[in-house]
Amino acid sequence: MSDALAIRDLQVHFHTRRGLYKALNGVNLGLRRGEVLGIAGESGCGKTTLGLAVMSLLPRNASIPGGKVIFDKKDLVNLPREYSERVGDRFNPKENERVLRRVGKAMTRIRGRRISMVFQEPMTSLNPVLPIGFQVAEAIYVHDPALLARRVLSRSKATPALLKELMALLVATHGDEASLRKFAAEHGLAGIEEQALFIWNRGDIHISRKEKAIRALSGAPVNRAELKIIEVVARTGSIPPQYARVPVLSRIVRRVLIKEGYRKARELLTSLGIHHAERVVKMYPHELSGGMRQRVVIAIALANNPEIVIMDEPTSAVDVTVQAQILELVKRIRTSVSASFIVISHDLAVLAEVCDRIAIMYAGRVVEVAPTDQILQKPLHPYTQLLISAIPTLEAKPVEGIKGDVPDMRAVPVGCAFHPRCPFAFEKCHEIIPIDLPHGNDQLVACWLYEAK
Amino acid sequence: MATVLEHKARFDELKLSARVFFANKTAVAGLVIFLVFMGDALIVQIAPGVLGVTYPNDVIPPQFTQTNPECDNMPPEPPSLSHPFGTFEYGQQGIGCLDLLQLVMKAIRIDIAIAFFIVLVGAAIGTLLGVVSGYVGKWLDEVLMRVTDVFFSVPFLILALAVGYVIGRTLFNMALALIIIWWPLYARYGRSLTLTTKEATFIESARASGSGRLKIMFRHLLPNVLPPILVQISLDVGTVILIFSTLAFIGFLPSNVLVPELGAIANFGLDLAPLGFWWTVVVPGGVITSFALAVNLMGDGLRDVIDPRRRS
Amino acid sequence: MIAAYGLSKFFPIRGAFRSTTSLKAVDDVGLKIQNEQVVGLVGESGSGKSTVGRCLIRLLKPTEGEILFDIPDSELVEYEKARAEDATKRVDAIADRFSLLRRSSSELRSLRRLANIVFQDPYSSLNPRMRLADIITEPMLSTRFCTRAEAEIRARELLREVGLPEFFEDRYPHELSGGQRQRVAIARAISTNPKLLILDEPTSALDVSVQAQILNLLRGLQEKYGISMLLITHNIAVVAYLAEYVYVMYAGKIMEWGEKGKVLRDPQHPYTKALMSSVPVIGETMTRTILRGDPPNLVSPPIACRFHPRCPVAFEVCGWSAEEVAEDLEYLLAGKYYEGFGDAVSVIAEGERTITIQGTTDAERIRELVGLENEEVRSLKSVEAIDVSDGSTVVRLHEPVEPEMYPAPDGRQVKCLLFRPDVSPPTGNA
Repeated sequence: MSDALAIRDLQVHFHTRRGLYKALNGVNLGLRRGEVLGIAGESGCGKTTLGLAVMSLLPRNASIPGGKVIFDKKDLVNLPREYSERVGDRFNPKENERVLRRVGKAMTRIRGRRISMVFQEPMTSLNPVLPIGFQVAEAIYVHDPALLARRVLSRSKATPALLKELMALLVATHGDEASLRKFAAEHGLAGIEEQALFIWNRGDIHISRKEKAIRALSGAPVNRAELKIIEVVARTGSIPPQYARVPVLSRIVRRVLIKEGYRKARELLTSLGIHHAERVVKMYPHELSGGMRQRVVIAIALANNPEIVIMDEPTSAVDVTVQAQILELVKRIRTSVSASFIVISHDLAVLAEVCDRIAIMYAGRVVEVAPTDQILQKPLHPYTQLLISAIPTLEAKPVEGIKGDVPDMRAVPVGCAFHPRCPFAFEKCHEIIPIDLPHGNDQLVACWLYEAK
Repeated sequence: MATVLEHKARFDELKLSARVFFANKTAVAGLVIFLVFMGDALIVQIAPGVLGVTYPNDVIPPQFTQTNPECDNMPPEPPSLSHPFGTFEYGQQGIGCLDLLQLVMKAIRIDIAIAFFIVLVGAAIGTLLGVVSGYVGKWLDEVLMRVTDVFFSVPFLILALAVGYVIGRTLFNMALALIIIWWPLYARYGRSLTLTTKEATFIESARASGSGRLKIMFRHLLPNVLPPILVQISLDVGTVILIFSTLAFIGFLPSNVLVPELGAIANFGLDLAPLGFWWTVVVPGGVITSFALAVNLMGDGLRDVIDPRRRS
Repeated sequence: MIAAYGLSKFFPIRGAFRSTTSLKAVDDVGLKIQNEQVVGLVGESGSGKSTVGRCLIRLLKPTEGEILFDIPDSELVEYEKARAEDATKRVDAIADRFSLLRRSSSELRSLRRLANIVFQDPYSSLNPRMRLADIITEPMLSTRFCTRAEAEIRARELLREVGLPEFFEDRYPHELSGGQRQRVAIARAISTNPKLLILDEPTSALDVSVQAQILNLLRGLQEKYGISMLLITHNIAVVAYLAEYVYVMYAGKIMEWGEKGKVLRDPQHPYTKALMSSVPVIGETMTRTILRGDPPNLVSPPIACRFHPRCPVAFEVCGWSAEEVAEDLEYLLAGKYYEGFGDAVSVIAEGERTITIQGTTDAERIRELVGLENEEVRSLKSVEAIDVSDGSTVVRLHEPVEPEMYPAPDGRQVKCLLFRPDVSPPTGNA
């Protein structure tokens, strides 16, 4: 099975007035399908830059002198890399901006839809002047209006009689999805499945209430003109150009679809454990607590069923009890959603909770990557070992700092970036950059100590 | 533990500041023009003869009429090789053929001196009041706010004229009037900077360490509040020159007082220009404008240097 | 060394029309730190722990309460006895000599020699325009601890003491890394040989490897100079590393305090239990008590026990209000128990202790439902009686009890009604 995402030898440089910062110096990493991969490191190691590079969200003064980010057999960074290779030292941020804009256009189908990102500060990722429901709805509307259109259509075609049959079917099959889908297909009600299942699967309401709710799914008030356009949207996935240009019509259709987006937002938020989603959907970000906001941001990231979700320090801005809630949430969604996850954090304990594998970064390179248990119990790379021994525990075992400082990324040490601080460094470490050496069971470590003799 | 890079850190900051400033082409242009003007002011102050200027404080050198009788009622001459800016005539006094270039060179010095005087004094008073009020707060702050409100609500030209008519219409009094107008701006600015800075934990640390309010204001707040204030000062010099030359231009100074001041010159030129002697207004006006522009461009560059984000 | 009694700090909220509401950041907190002892104050954001620290060092003026500073044990015992007996004159006499709140500003100035504080953010706690030498000498000069010449010599020694080279004295903060700056902040704080050091999240802004260095530095200094420390942090492992006693704060109140080992290993208060189980530990997958909801709004905090809305073992008298119960009841009637009641019912909270359920007189069914659900929905535990009157069902709630600090058998103190000595174990309801 191929990797969901493959990062090969990625290099990212930042051109600033203070000098050239070599943020990433040859990162090699593979994200396997369905796994939760953690990226750990201290400040300045490049983990956030890595996340931004994958999403092509780098600022214009970032150049990519080399490397690839391969997603679905395509290299996401080939344009900026080719530009950097072409101009070499004569890097110009303005020209780069043009290149990045082209990349941006190519990425619109991917960003938010196939790869989505959750940022550290939920307050700044949410627009403070738009209601929560709108922001979730917009995320779906921009990428998949057909989904919303189908839902609206299915409800307009659902007669009370049909819905009664549907309810009976759900009761008989105990909410079996497959038979529901068949039923919907047979009766031309494609798009009603997820709405019906959402009601059916709610654990907190009585069955008679559920029945009422399902019956209420019928007859969305949509007039003929809107209906026609929505049908086209459902079929083709976008508003047809002739209508898109007519301002009043396109606005009406947009309104209907966004309203539908609100309904879907309610379903999404409830599935992520937000109570009273009907109320939350109308609220503004500042009315919610930090934990709720983070859930909303995660909901937006998951709204379009992405293949990859990148979470950058998802719990750093929240309290430890809320952090526990978020971690439980992540553990729950990874089983119900088919995406692969990358979780970036400086807190190894957080990663230990949710990740299958953890990669440790230092000075712009991955120094070790292994399954969670292995890397925490038997860390191989000296930096990993020292890092783990620096974490205080409840048993108050003695902690050791690492002597020296994180290197200035304008002058990364030659050879292994860690050698000035490494207690085991020898000559080869001063000269040659270590390559990823396989070791043990599914472990890769970039350290000459493990070179097979 | 110190690396090589740390040793050079402070020196690099200066080089970085220079690099940031010089990257801004318009700021450099502004700097050049500004230096030309400053150069003129300095030379006229120290060794006026170098530029051929005599009697730097007088529009008309003494005994001019005696030594140059042909200049009696001589109309202004257009710019030419011998008089690059043309000549000027003070119609009321009936004295003509005054070299405009020389006049302008004297005036620049006066104008710059006045501008700096106004801004520096106004900034000093205003910033001090603003910092104290911002830190001490409570009723003092309220009082200051209301006082500055009053000053802001009156259109400044009117205020300046009013002050002038009360205390007398001389050049010095014009500067005083403008100081009175200018200090509330700095009080407000200094206060808002103080309000942000005083939340920083180093202020709390100073309190915890036993430093009194005075020490905190002068040792902690003021040095941190000064850099943006200095930038503001550099920007304001240009604005102030425009304002007080406008004042002179609209006739703040009585018409029997002749000073080498660009606005005043232009004021006299107003009478001459409709007769076709356009250079008598255009030249002094143009000089004021270019100086104000230069200072603004420079200030822009300075703002870049101070702002930590633009530095990167 | 320092003892606080009934410490409260309310921040007035300036509403549109000068309303009198306030943010009750700290409410009735009692704290004691002995000589040479390290006490940890643990809590999440909004718990009020930073405010307590600032009150103890008189950066903030407490709204209520007493802080006695540098008071010998014998006098403290005397004080507590006098307080218990309500002997106001004796209380006053002792307070006059030792209270931090009755000091004049000049007395406070010399007292500042004895206590100082280290803040969380190394980037804003040092004046960017001052040389390190000036930063470190400031406390010594402001409190007239020594002459300027002596101070400068001492500054160099202090730099060495915290592990920085002496030539750093001419540097400016922006030339230093975060860890180095924090060391300078520590050097400044100990420059006047204080007896008490407040540390407000000293390592939260630092990387893990740097944190380890600072923790070891603090430990070393504490052992060498015998400084009492109040370590305020949300990081329980840090507290475990340095402290002897731990106080746990939630929503402005102390929930539990005692010896570190006991509190952390065997938490008794439901909040402490949930807190400890929320901390992810490498190498252990623990059973989590996931708290629902969020920390409360401190402008109008929950009545009685502030933790009761989120407490997994709350019972009748913990402080449930009619509103809280009404909301939960309504949710159940409209959802899970819809069949029995339909759309006709509406649940209305009336006053503090009464709820009217209109549209049904089936008190029996409601009693049954409450009995079934009250393990999950704890608010229902507060239902005292359900009667029918005037065509609707009326629910009455128990009277809440304000919890105090109750002693637990192993010497610690817990502010939870579960530990009230005269209360029988929680029974069923209605």
